[in-house]
Parts: sequence; C-alpha cells; structure tokens
Amino acid sequence: MKNKGLGEFEELILLAVCILEGEAYGISVKKEVEKHSQRTILLGAVHITLYRLQDKGLLKSEMGGNTEKRGDRRKRLFTITDAGMKQLRASQDVRQKMWQLIPQLNSGL
Amino acid sequence: MKLNKYKPPGLITWLVAKCLNSDYLEEFLGDLQEIFEDRVEQKGKTLARLIYCFDAFHLLIGFASFSIFKTQNSNIIMIKTMFRMAYRSAIRQKQFTILNVLGLTIGITTSLFIGLYVYNETTYDAFHEKGDRIYRVNQPMIWNSWDEQFSSTGPNVALALKAEIPEFEELTRLLNLGSQTIRVKGESGEHRFFKETSFFGAEENFLNVFTFNAIQGDIKSALNDPLSIVITKETAEKYFGFGNVIGKSIEVKRYDGVWEDFIVKAVIENVPKKSHIQFDILSSFKSYPEMFEDNEWKWNWTSFSTYALVKKGADIAQLVEKMQAIPPKYAAATTERVFKQSFEDFTKGNLWTLYLQPLSDIYLSSAPDWHRFGPTGKPQPVRIFGAIGLIILVLSSINFMNLSTARSTNRAKEIGVRKVLGSRRKALVHQFIFESILFVAISTVLALVLVSLTIDPFNALAQRGLTVRTIYSSFSFIAVLIGFVLGLGVLAGSYPAFYLSSFRPIQALKGKVNTSFRGKGFRNGLVVFQFTMSIALIICTFFVQRQLQYASSLDIGIDRDNVLQIHNIEQLDEKADVLKSKLLTNPAITHLGTSYATPTNVWDGERYKASHLKDAVSADMSNFRTKEDYLELLGVEFVAGRNFDPEIQSDKYGAILNETAVKALGWGTTDSFIKDSPIGKKVICDFDNELELQVLGVVKDFNFNTIKEEIEPLVIMHSDNDSIWNYGLGRSYISLRLNPIAIQTSEDLQVFLESIEKEIYKIDPSTMFEYSFMDHEFEATFRSELQMGKILNLFSIMALIIACLGLFGLAAFSAEQRMKELGIRKVLGARVISLVVSFSSEFTRLIVIAIVLAIPVSYLLVNRWLSSFAYRTPIEAWVFTVAILCAFIIACTTIGYQSLAAANKNPAEVLKDE
Repeated sequence: MKNKGLGEFEELILLAVCILEGEAYGISVKKEVEKHSQRTILLGAVHITLYRLQDKGLLKSEMGGNTEKRGDRRKRLFTITDAGMKQLRASQDVRQKMWQLIPQLNSGL
Repeated sequence: MKLNKYKPPGLITWLVAKCLNSDYLEEFLGDLQEIFEDRVEQKGKTLARLIYCFDAFHLLIGFASFSIFKTQNSNIIMIKTMFRMAYRSAIRQKQFTILNVLGLTIGITTSLFIGLYVYNETTYDAFHEKGDRIYRVNQPMIWNSWDEQFSSTGPNVALALKAEIPEFEELTRLLNLGSQTIRVKGESGEHRFFKETSFFGAEENFLNVFTFNAIQGDIKSALNDPLSIVITKETAEKYFGFGNVIGKSIEVKRYDGVWEDFIVKAVIENVPKKSHIQFDILSSFKSYPEMFEDNEWKWNWTSFSTYALVKKGADIAQLVEKMQAIPPKYAAATTERVFKQSFEDFTKGNLWTLYLQPLSDIYLSSAPDWHRFGPTGKPQPVRIFGAIGLIILVLSSINFMNLSTARSTNRAKEIGVRKVLGSRRKALVHQFIFESILFVAISTVLALVLVSLTIDPFNALAQRGLTVRTIYSSFSFIAVLIGFVLGLGVLAGSYPAFYLSSFRPIQALKGKVNTSFRGKGFRNGLVVFQFTMSIALIICTFFVQRQLQYASSLDIGIDRDNVLQIHNIEQLDEKADVLKSKLLTNPAITHLGTSYATPTNVWDGERYKASHLKDAVSADMSNFRTKEDYLELLGVEFVAGRNFDPEIQSDKYGAILNETAVKALGWGTTDSFIKDSPIGKKVICDFDNELELQVLGVVKDFNFNTIKEEIEPLVIMHSDNDSIWNYGLGRSYISLRLNPIAIQTSEDLQVFLESIEKEIYKIDPSTMFEYSFMDHEFEATFRSELQMGKILNLFSIMALIIACLGLFGLAAFSAEQRMKELGIRKVLGARVISLVVSFSSEFTRLIVIAIVLAIPVSYLLVNRWLSSFAYRTPIEAWVFTVAILCAFIIACTTIGYQSLAAANKNPAEVLKDE
C-alpha cells in the first residue's frame, strides 16, 4: 500500500502546481490542466485532488493573496514538497524506462 | 464601494457554508465566486448561476466522499450502502421514480408559491419598532351602516382620547391631502411641475410613533414647525437630484391658486412596500391652522385616521371599555352644531363605539375593509389560496405515498433475500424510511430550484414582489420544509418499512405473499379523494371565469365604453369653459359632459326625506352634481320626467333621482308612476337645513360605484345649485365620449391624448393632465377577483396534472402487476379492445365516484363565493357537465394509454419466463 505511485490525474495536477510556482490554487490549477490536456474538468475534482495530494504529503499549502474579484476571500496556495518532487521524478523514470523497452523498429512511426 | 451587479445564488452559498468545514470555506467560496464572475462575462448570468450550483454540489459531494475515504466508521459505510440501494431501486424502476419525484416537485413548488404569497400578505407593517403597541382607532360607519367598522375618525377623537385616558402614550393623526400640484425651481430659475398623489398631513409626533429611517435631517423634530415637510429618498431625487436637500423648498398650490413654500426638514428611506401607509411627502399639521380651529365640534369630519401608541403593559380590553364613554360626552357638540340633532337622535339608538385595531391586523382585515393611505389586502383570496395550497400539497403527498407503497410490493423478493442473508428487521426499516425521506428531500430541493427560476413570471401574474430569499431567511419556512420532508418521508416509508419487513423470508421468496392486492382499498380511496378535489377545483375555476366574464360584460345601465375622463378640471376654474369650447370642435368627440364625480368614484352622500311629510322616512343616498350634458353622455334612460333644461332657470334647483331612490322615499315603483308620479314632488336633506329640491326626472337604475353591490339610491343635483351646502364641489371632471371610428388604433388615441394635453398646457401650465377610462375604472373594482381568477386557473391546472400523474402511475403499476393475466387472456383469445375496457373500468369506476362526490362540494363552494357579488352568473348545469367531461376525458386518456400499452404486449414476451 505504501508507495502506490500516482494516478494520471494526480500527476497532471502535480505538474500544474510545479508550473505555476507558488501561484497554484484551485482555479489556476484547473485552467492550467485544461490548457495542456484540452479537456474540461470540474473545479470540485481539482480541489479534492489537491487535498488528497496534500494528505499524502506531496503538496503543502498556505493561505494568501485575496483579491476583490473573489469577494475579498483568500486563496489556498499550494507548493510541491520534496516528497512530491521525488514522486514525480519516479513516475517519470518509470515511463522513461518503459518507453525505452519498446522495440526500436517502431520508433520511426 | 463598488456595487456587485451579479451575485451568485445566495441559497447555494448558504448551503455550502452550512455543510463545509470552516477551515476550507474561505478558499472554496473564493474560487467559486471568481469562476462565477468569469462565467458571467463569458456565458451570461443565467448559465453562470446554473454552473455555480452544479459546481457547488459537486464540491460538496466530492468532499463527502473524500472524508469517507479516510474513515472506517461503520455508520458512514452503512449510509453509503443505503444510498447505493436507494439508487439501484430508483434506477430499476425509472418510470415510477420519475413520476414520483416529478409529481411531488410540482406539488411542493405550487405550495411554496402559495406559501410565499400568504406569508407576504400576512406580514405587513412588521417593521415598526413599537409596532406591537400601535393601534388604529376605528369607529362605526356613522354615515349610514352603523354595523360596519370605519377606519376614519374626526380630528378631535384623538384630542378627546388624549384628555381622558392616560394609558395612551401617544396619539397621532394622519390625513390624506389628496393629489397636490407642486412646483420646484430649477437651477436656471424655471419651474418644474409635479403631481403628488401620496401627499399626507401628519401630526408632529407621527414619526416618533411609526419607524421610518432618516437619511438626512432629524426625524424627531422634523414636523414640529409649520410649513415643514419630510420626503422620501425617491421624491428627493425626483425634485433635487442627489446631495443634501435639507432646507430646500418646494411650492404647493393651494385650493385658491396661491403657491405656498414648504421647507424640507428630513429625507427618509422609501416607505417599505409592505406598509399600509404609503406616502411620498408628509407635511406637518401645523401648516394648516385653519383645519384645526373649532376642534370641539369636528367629530363628523371623518377623513383622518387616529393611531394610538399605548403604554407598555396596558390592558387593551379594559382600555377599549374605557373609550366607550368618550363619544357620548364629546360627539354631542358636533351633532348639535352640524346636524342640529341631539347625540341620541343622530345615532338613532346605535352605539357609537370606538375600536382599537392592532397595527398588524390592519392590512388584511375585512372590517374595516378600506382606508385612505395605501394598499388594503383582501382576506378572501388569501384564505382561498391557502386552502388550495394545502389541497395541492395533500394531493401530491398522497400521490407520493400511493406510488411508494405500490412500488414497494415489488420488492418483497429483495426483502426475502436480504433477510436470508442475515439482515435484521431494524436495518430494513431504516432502509425504507431513508429511501423515502431521500426522495422527498430531492423533490423539495428541486422545487426550491424551480421556484427560484419561475418566481419572476409568478410575480408578474400575482402582481406581488415575492422573493425566494424569504424562504431561507425565515426560520418558520425552513422548519416547515424540514418538518415536511421528515413527516412525509416517514409516513410514505412506513408502510413498506413496517409491513413488508415483517414477511417471513421463505414465504416472500416463494412469492406466497399476495402483495398486489394489499392496501388496494386504501389506495383507491386516496385516488377518489384526489380526483374529487381536482374536479371540484376545475368546476370552481369554470364558474369563477364565467362570473368574471359576466361582470365585465354586465349591462350596467350606462354605456361605459369609449368614455375618456379628464381630471383636475377644478384647477382651471372659469378657464374650463375655454377648454370645453376647444374640445367641442374636435370631430373625434361625440359627447362632452362636466360633472363633479365619475362612476365608480361617487363617494358623497347625505340623508334625504320627502319634504312636507310629517312622518317621512329618511334614507341614505349617494349624490353628485352635474349638468344635462353629462347625463346625455352617459346615455341614462329616463323612466319619468326629463333631464335638466339649460333654458329653464329654475332647473338648477331641481334634482333627478334614480328608481331606487324613489322607492326609498316611499314614492312607489315605475309601475305606479302613472297613478302617482314623483315628478314635481320635493325632496329635502334630512336635517332640514337646506332648500328642498324639486324632482325633475327619474332615471333607470345604473351602476355608479361597483357591480359587486346593489345599486344604491342616487340624487343627481345641478352643478349650479347655489343654495345647498357646498358638498360635492371638490373635484371636477370633463368626460368625453369618443367616436370609435375616428379613433381606431392606439396610435390615434395617443395623438388624441397628446393634443388634449397641449390644450390644457396652453390654458394653464400648472394643471396636470390626468385621465381615466370609464370601462377601466369599472374593471378596477373587481381587479383583485380578476387577478385571483388568473392564479386560480394556474393552480387548478397544477392540481389536475398532479392527480393525473398519480393516476398514470397507479395504472402503470397495475398494468405491470396484471401483465401475466392479460397475456394469458390474450392467448386464450381475448381481443385487445375487451382487455382495454376491462382494465380501464377498474379506474374509471373511481373517477365516476369522484365526480359524484365533487358535484355537491363544488356547488357549495361556488354558491358561497358568488354570494359576495350582487350580480352573479347563474349556476348552470352545463358548466358542470363541461368541466366534468374535461376532467373525465383527461383521466381516461391517462388510463387508456396504459391499458393499450399493456393489452398490446406480445403474450409470448410476457409469459416466456413462466
């Protein structure tokens, strides 16, 4: 159970948090993922995933940055932890290794 | 501060705030709002709100599942299982689930609307801080019907009460000064003219008794000085624009044409809609010293309303008793001076009582049913709608229970299996009750959404300003809703919960329990009840519509169409003749007449008797003053005598009576005129203080006030009569009968009206052009009934839909139960048509019983409602027949659809698994 690895959606969210560098909160993450993956996702899904990742210790968060547009409410800004970075790299490695095992004959396609 | 133009749905925000942990709340709501505002810009308000709701629910559900992830709490797991079971059984019988939820949703929506309406009507005047201690002083209708309560009192009733009874903390009086012409000097020195219809005079302490919030100025002392006024924010903006207006002045035109300067002392917030007192301008009583001279004999000037603030802890019953000693002691001076009668002669043995009516009762009470300061509610529609709301709620609840119990019999096998697998009875009971509560809750939420989406059209129909906010900001609404969800849920779930869960598993699995006929009698009874109610409603609606149609096309004795009435003529004085001669040249006008009152607004009256008769009976009669031209314009029919003749000088001291007046004076009816003509007889005011009037003619009765009441006795006097008391010479009107050929389109009319407006402006720029149409005025006298008719249409359609949904569901259920029977009969040679007939007859029987029951019920209701009208449509049998046929055909179609579908099934399909 322990080192379960990342789900696909979780990975996308983690990547988005990394890209946004300190500016990552519900809506910005949603927009980022939508931009790259070309699919519509629900705000709730983003939030739940962010919290689950925080629970797993892959993200950490703090409150800040209120704007008028939000009715003067603060955002929860997420940043990636060392463990999170390690997980991302690990899953990248897994993929990389597997890619390399694909027979070279097909690489030209 | 920037005004937020679009707000996300408050209900949803509130819901999220209640459900979510406060640690997370801030960021969630922030995100929701941010994305909402983006969407408003991109996709528009409505869509953004919808997505907002969706997002919020998704978040909540997501959050719930997220916290479940972390828990191993068996309760939560159980609830999850219950959800799953409910979901599965709902999906298995999609048709029934949809029917069930739909019917209940429609029912709750309708009832919520009615609830909001009733709540709105019953909570007027709730914003005054001392409201629980404020009472209005009423007295009997001293002018004719002593048994009716009257909301107006003379000005010195308050003074007498103040002097005699110490329990009153404050007594304050209010007077509607009628419409006033006002001018305000603009910045460049020119005058701008306004017409103010809500211009009241008030006593100095008025604003200390009632709570109106000041925006500018000191409200406590604002009315202390002569010529000071308090205006509402809206009025201030209209006259002066924005900014400080304290100390600015407006000029009011007095009756004698002199402009009087009033100084603004305070600006208050606009008067709340739910107030029975609606004013734009309050002026201090001190501005009119002449009004309050000789106070000791002004008990008969019943134009004021007296409001009392009683001291804390005062015993109201005792107080009212004490008040009864006041009129005999103080009113005598008035009766002796004004009417030359002693107090006892004036009251003729009636009691001149004074009543205290609590402020909260004023708006909706039927006694007195009228006052001078703003809207009055009608208690009858509120009661009728309240009853209908309750009926519709009961109908849809019955549907829900019916279908739930019917459906649950299909689940006997499921129960058997669960029992075999070790389920305890308690768990089964919980499951069924939970499911049924869940469905009621879903319907309620759907209904709330539906209400918030359709509240605007409903407001337009009911002409009210209802808001959904009332539902969730009021504790009682929320309590009733929660109570309803739990109550109906438990009630509907209890049959399957307690009865079905008691099955022995073996029997249940073998199918030995003959569930299909259980509770059938009860269900049939409920169906009959439902249809009785909806058919009765439909019949009532038919009659209401007929009555309204009847009332609007009733022959009232005068031709009310195409009559334009121009108001404010009294302000033109002698220049009115200039206007008249101008108008007479207009070819679009066929008749022109002047009068000092117009039909539906004939308010003056006096007590008359036959002159020179020792023991003549006296009677209360309405009167108004006019000339021959107006009677020609009205087209009244003379049954005896003649109209006023301008050639005969003495005619201005004559009078024209209507038939009822002749009868009231004891001069016989039309048939007896040949023997004993009333023409030439003399009629005189009961108090013998005026000249007698010679009867010139008798007109056929015509309606001059409302068609809801019988025609009252009427005395028509000449406008130029200079020997009688001055009454009836207040407002003057010019009426025009228009030629419908010359004015055909609304553009024609617009052009015509503008030309008159220009004429009047040319003659006197300070006179405002106001007009009305006589047919509209008559229609206005039963506007509340018209409005009620429209809402009633809507509600009876809703009731029928709900009843039909229920019938449809039950028929479908029965068809499913009897599928095999029908299959076998078909195999054995039965024809489709005979199957349909035998299947339908089971239900049509119920409908027939319902019809038989509905006829007397609706007859009683219709009869009772119609009795409030003086002129009513007859209760005809064919209306019943048509209404019943409509209901019957709709019901039969509902059943027929199901029975055809069942009878047309291929028997091989149905019987294959046997």
